[in-house]
Amino acid sequence: MEFLQYFGGVFEPIALLLLVGGTIGGLILGATPGLSPTMAVALLIPFTFHLSPTHGLILLGAAYTSTVAGGAVSAILLKIPGAPANIATALDGNAMARNGDGTRALQLSFLASGVGGIIGVLLLIFLTPVLAQWALAFGPSHLFWLAILGVTVIGSLDSRSFVKGLLSGCIGLWISMIGYDDVQGAERFIFSDALTGGVSIIPALIGLFAIPQVMEMFSKGREAAAIEQVRVSNYPISRSMVELFQSWRALSIGTVLGSIVGLIPGVGGQIAGLVAYDQTRKMSPHKAKFGTGHSEGVIAAESANNAMVGPSLVPLLTLSIPGSPTAAVLLGGLLIHGIFPGSDLFDNHPQVAWTFINSMLLGQVLMVIFGIYTAVWAARIAQVPPSVMASAVLILAIFGSYSVQLSMGDVYIMLVLGVGMFFLERFGFSAAPLVLGLILGPIAEANFIQGNLIANAQNGPLEYFCTGTLNIFLIVLVVASIAYSFWSNMLENRSAAAARKKQELAQ
Amino acid sequence: MTASRLQHSLMATAVLALAATVTWLSFTQEPADAFLFPRLISVVFLSLALWNFARAMFGMARVGEGISADLVKKILPGLFVAIVFVFFAAKSLGFYVSSTITFLLIHTLYDPTSPYELKGWLRRIVTTAVFMSVIYALFSLLLKVQTPRGMFF
Amino acid sequence: MMLQAMKGAACALALTLSTTIMTAPASAEFPERPIGVAVSYGAGGATDFQARIVTMVAGNKDMLGQPIYIVNKPGAGGRVGWNWFASEAPKDGYMMSAYNVPHFIAQSIKGSVKYSADSFEPIANWGADPAVVVVGKDSKFNTIQELVEFAKANPGKLTLSGAGLFVGHHIAALQLQKATGTKMAYIPTKGGGAAAMKAVIAGNVLAGVNNLSDAYRALKAGNVKVLGVADLERNTEFLPDVPTLKEAGYDVDNSSVNFRGLMVPKGTPQDVIDKLAATVPKMFGHARVAKRMKAGGSPIKIMSREEVQKMWKERQTYLDELLKGL
Repeated sequence: MEFLQYFGGVFEPIALLLLVGGTIGGLILGATPGLSPTMAVALLIPFTFHLSPTHGLILLGAAYTSTVAGGAVSAILLKIPGAPANIATALDGNAMARNGDGTRALQLSFLASGVGGIIGVLLLIFLTPVLAQWALAFGPSHLFWLAILGVTVIGSLDSRSFVKGLLSGCIGLWISMIGYDDVQGAERFIFSDALTGGVSIIPALIGLFAIPQVMEMFSKGREAAAIEQVRVSNYPISRSMVELFQSWRALSIGTVLGSIVGLIPGVGGQIAGLVAYDQTRKMSPHKAKFGTGHSEGVIAAESANNAMVGPSLVPLLTLSIPGSPTAAVLLGGLLIHGIFPGSDLFDNHPQVAWTFINSMLLGQVLMVIFGIYTAVWAARIAQVPPSVMASAVLILAIFGSYSVQLSMGDVYIMLVLGVGMFFLERFGFSAAPLVLGLILGPIAEANFIQGNLIANAQNGPLEYFCTGTLNIFLIVLVVASIAYSFWSNMLENRSAAAARKKQELAQ
Repeated sequence: MTASRLQHSLMATAVLALAATVTWLSFTQEPADAFLFPRLISVVFLSLALWNFARAMFGMARVGEGISADLVKKILPGLFVAIVFVFFAAKSLGFYVSSTITFLLIHTLYDPTSPYELKGWLRRIVTTAVFMSVIYALFSLLLKVQTPRGMFF
Repeated sequence: MMLQAMKGAACALALTLSTTIMTAPASAEFPERPIGVAVSYGAGGATDFQARIVTMVAGNKDMLGQPIYIVNKPGAGGRVGWNWFASEAPKDGYMMSAYNVPHFIAQSIKGSVKYSADSFEPIANWGADPAVVVVGKDSKFNTIQELVEFAKANPGKLTLSGAGLFVGHHIAALQLQKATGTKMAYIPTKGGGAAAMKAVIAGNVLAGVNNLSDAYRALKAGNVKVLGVADLERNTEFLPDVPTLKEAGYDVDNSSVNFRGLMVPKGTPQDVIDKLAATVPKMFGHARVAKRMKAGGSPIKIMSREEVQKMWKERQTYLDELLKGL
């Protein structure tokens, strides 16, 4: 209960001002295409030079929580995921917005973010010592299996065809290997100069999701008749709240998976949303509705990726190991003030540590409040004519992918991937598994290589990768996940075949 | 509506060709150490591509709408403008000037209002100006992103 | 004609805006707009973090008079960023890059990159971060001698993590093996020094080579023991009690020390280089920079352009020799 003692610090005038400023700023930065939470926090570091350590951290804490949630805004309204965390949100969220349910989607996404986020921070407050051990339990072999487990999700993710889902994943894995290999520095699959730097994740994300949607709008042509008028309904916030708690299944799966996955250094943040989305779909009675604008998808994805925020800081705050790129940037923010995370932080600067954690807690609440206001825009966005929408998304996609590394090469990659994806989608391939392959490929490879090197110094790869409780547990999960996908795919095929036969008989 | 068997087969062939190329490269390029993981992946990739190819050939691929001549006719103008912007205009004309032109062009190409109506032009120019000011404020003023300058700006 | 006029108006607008925001005098000479620094490692890494600190006073009137912004181009141990810098970066002084020696020199010796020490012109050096040997806090090794004894008795079994191949950590590991006549299993990690440190703390590897600054932090957090420093002298500021590898009796010099500084591509006008070389060391030496760097546990070492040129040459000769057999 030590944290309550320091709660007063958050309510000092300057602290409160920074908290509000950080939250609003974070929402705007998070919603800007191309600006991941990591970049947003890095941009804010110079502002903390002039602040006291406590105040600086309040700003960074508030900004971190709200950039993650802010990414949902562009994911839902424009189908441009701000960061890997928001991919799953875009799947159903954007479909909802196009059905005229944008307000509801945004309200639900912020409420779910808030619930997940608060639980995540509470875990950080109460269970830090226990969680720290758990975060360290994952060595290269476990991370390798974990990445493979993530890959097995591919077959069932947002795809109408099992084999094409897996193939999309393979294409993603291949794209992730383009460029210099990370360990040896060897050139791989570089067939154009723009590819020497490899395919970075943010431009790829923007291209794969935003460009096919722009082309979809082009494909409607210019006849007024082809452009459907969307009826936009205003949605009272109280109804969203009721709906959130009725979807308790999605909310709890998202929160639990988000906090568990968020803890694992190096993997967590990027895939928490996708894994939660997939699990919720598998366990939902309304499986078929996912991908067409189903609110459970948004709730699961957003609760998961905000639940991950708190636990992802556990390795940083207790062991001084940044578990994610954003945590690494936050570490820098602490260091410039001469504060070293680890036992030093909680023993010698409890004021700083607890005020920071409290600011994240309060930041979640403020984020929900301000976020709800953005829902008002959502009503309008569905009524923007496609010709404006298409040009706006295109320009935003180009600016967003350029600004990540100030590189024209990234813009070329973005456009080429996007146009390619549009044609692949016309044949049943899909972007979500492709992106998952793109994210997990490097993680799987790095840990595979590293594990192999360690194993060769010990008793060989077989023992290193396949013995030990955690390894076996993960392998069982991998096998179960593949078996489940096969089985449900067979069932679906059979019922589809039966339906077709019936149709043929009726004719 | 689903695409014809021919279209599906063509797409499956393209994917198979990609998988075969990737596999071939993975097993022939040096240093072998750096291609250990690509070899693993490419084998899976190739077998899946073969499976997909067989399904398409036997007419079992049913998912996806395919491509029609009408679709190509409708997307080509927009795609052309986007490609010209990204690959040619952005660096030579400057990022902001070419974005503005692109926005206005695509807006005009896909606007249901007739291009001969003056009012339509006014509306589109105002929209473009407003949108580009927001982009300028966000990326240039707030985030200080240095964009390619080219001839203009 | 109209576009010309528009361009003029837009420029005027941008100029007034930038001058009001940045308080810099609008001078006709270099620099007249913000300068970029390309960092070849990700946001939050040691190089990125230090680059952000040492450039923070660039906008002051007596310094460059224009702010410096950071662009991260991470990948493949720095190769992605430096390749870009050598081949595509503008050669007008408005884009600098942070260098890490011995990393980029060692990589250029191993080949398949588009740069060598001759592709760049150094401006000034800001820091020197020696490599240290660390083990987990519960490790059975308490001195560097015990570690070396184990390596001698078990060839190839001592796992040693570091931030990648052909970076300072790897060089230090190679030197230690050469000096002791042992064979160790060097494990390059992806994700820089932080990931290599995690492997040590979590017990994935028996020992690790890491940056002095990161090791100092991990030591203060009570997670590791630091056994030796790969430098010519002990670090009196942060780790006064840790012996150098030389003191411990192994012939390891300071070739693995990670020097960080700024450079521009070859072909940049000489007057621009001169202006930068005159101002940038002053900027690194600013009192506020020193305070922040010390607070973060990052050792400062300011060197002029001439000193860096000499240091690069020495490293080139030594590394050519060391890496010949590999």
